[in-house]
Amino acid sequence: MSSVRQVVIEAHGLCKVYGINRAPIIALKDVSFTVEEGSFVSLVGPSGCGKSTLLQVLAGLVPSTTGEVLVDGAALRQPAPKKISVMFQDATLLPWKRVSENVEFPLEIHGMRPAERRQRAAEMLSLVGLADFADRYPHELSGGMRQRVSIARSLAPDPRIMLMDEPFGALDEQTRIKMGHELLRIWEKTRKTIFFITHSLTEALFLADIVLVMSHRPGQIVGTIRADLPRPRTYEIIGSAEFGIARNQIWKLISQDDGEVNSNGMASL
Amino acid sequence: MKTLLRGLMIFFVLGLWEAVRRFDLVGPLLLASPTEIVDAFVKSWFDYVIALRLTAIEIAVALALAWTLGIGAGTIAGLRPFLNATTGPLLSSLFAVPLISWYPLFMVWFGIGITSKIAYAVVSGFFPIAINTMNGIAAVDHQYFLLGRAIGCSRRQLIFGILLPMAMPSIVSGLRIGTALIVIGVIVAEMLGSFGGIGYLISYYRSIYATAHVYLGILVALIFALVANWLLSLLERRFTHWRVMQIQQ
Repeated sequence: MSSVRQVVIEAHGLCKVYGINRAPIIALKDVSFTVEEGSFVSLVGPSGCGKSTLLQVLAGLVPSTTGEVLVDGAALRQPAPKKISVMFQDATLLPWKRVSENVEFPLEIHGMRPAERRQRAAEMLSLVGLADFADRYPHELSGGMRQRVSIARSLAPDPRIMLMDEPFGALDEQTRIKMGHELLRIWEKTRKTIFFITHSLTEALFLADIVLVMSHRPGQIVGTIRADLPRPRTYEIIGSAEFGIARNQIWKLISQDDGEVNSNGMASL
Repeated sequence: MKTLLRGLMIFFVLGLWEAVRRFDLVGPLLLASPTEIVDAFVKSWFDYVIALRLTAIEIAVALALAWTLGIGAGTIAGLRPFLNATTGPLLSSLFAVPLISWYPLFMVWFGIGITSKIAYAVVSGFFPIAINTMNGIAAVDHQYFLLGRAIGCSRRQLIFGILLPMAMPSIVSGLRIGTALIVIGVIVAEMLGSFGGIGYLISYYRSIYATAHVYLGILVALIFALVANWLLSLLERRFTHWRVMQIQQ
């Protein structure tokens, strides 16, 4: 059934090498995978394994040294702001703009008319549950609310793909769990293709259909886990046997080339 | 109540000041009383208007140039990590040299007229503005550069729409220092060598021992500082209000 779905992102043999003149650092090594339309894919791996580099390559922000990214079958060479939106660990809101103006900002850059973009921003804010905060400034909001504004801003241009670089990494655990639920709710409503980077095994598995596992340097994908867990996902799933088995699988993949395998799979959770 | 108290305070200080002179506790060469200063103004107010106008023009032109050049150069330097790393320490140390020692050279290069005053003031105001702009831009989190490019900003939109506003608190504090130095620079330059302006009047009257005029000149110079300060606080309120609120939080 899922094989019928169209492929939106194809990564073919991506390599990224930094500092070629001096000691070269290999950030990505032969990374290949595909992402299907409307799916939720997460990429999990330890800090500094090249996750962010991969996201920047997928966003067209950084060129790969070799290999290529195809989006809808066409090679991606630069950012595609109307098709792909990017979210970062920090909400990166513009602090002098009100919440609604922040959501409008990409639309303003794309040249949308004021009335139209105001309307769109209002819709997005009510989608993320912040309709009442449209006139506030970012510093008046909590960290979780700021990331929700950031989600609204990402959604505003109606992109097909949302790339997220540890968007909840800076939040406390309770907020993080709530934001995960919130994101799933929004995803189920909008059916965007989401590529979500995290270093939390639990978060990766809880959110996604497919979990790509990346190893420590040099950055390569060491395995793909299909998360066949029922949707809509609830917090209880995390305690289920299937969840535990899948998480152990991920843990084994991550730790196998470290030489510090921990058989109970709990160390980094 | 507060204003009343403040008024009384000023009145009291003025009275004391006047009394010190009336009873000749301090010689007329050292201090002029408020009434003597008013006298000086009444007698030669026209000279002061002319001088005020000249100094105002010099300051205005110097401000326009130093702000534009300083913010421009600071932005360009801030966007290039290499330039930023190499020029930062150099600029800071250049700025540490007492600039006034260069003024004789400025007179040789630009003559005794208005140009040398403006050139000197621009140079003295330029560095803090450029350095603060550079630091402000360089301190903007890298994620904002990525965001700008990801949402499709042109280079111009990235600079004017994201980076400069982000750097505004730092830029405004540079403008504060730079503007103060420009006001000082113009007046000092006039004192050292010129045929006009408030600085010239102060210097001239000092040489003929007309103390009341020297005090009057100082008061007029104070007006410039106050006006500059007022303009900057307007700017601050307009562009960095979010920063203040962030800090208060």
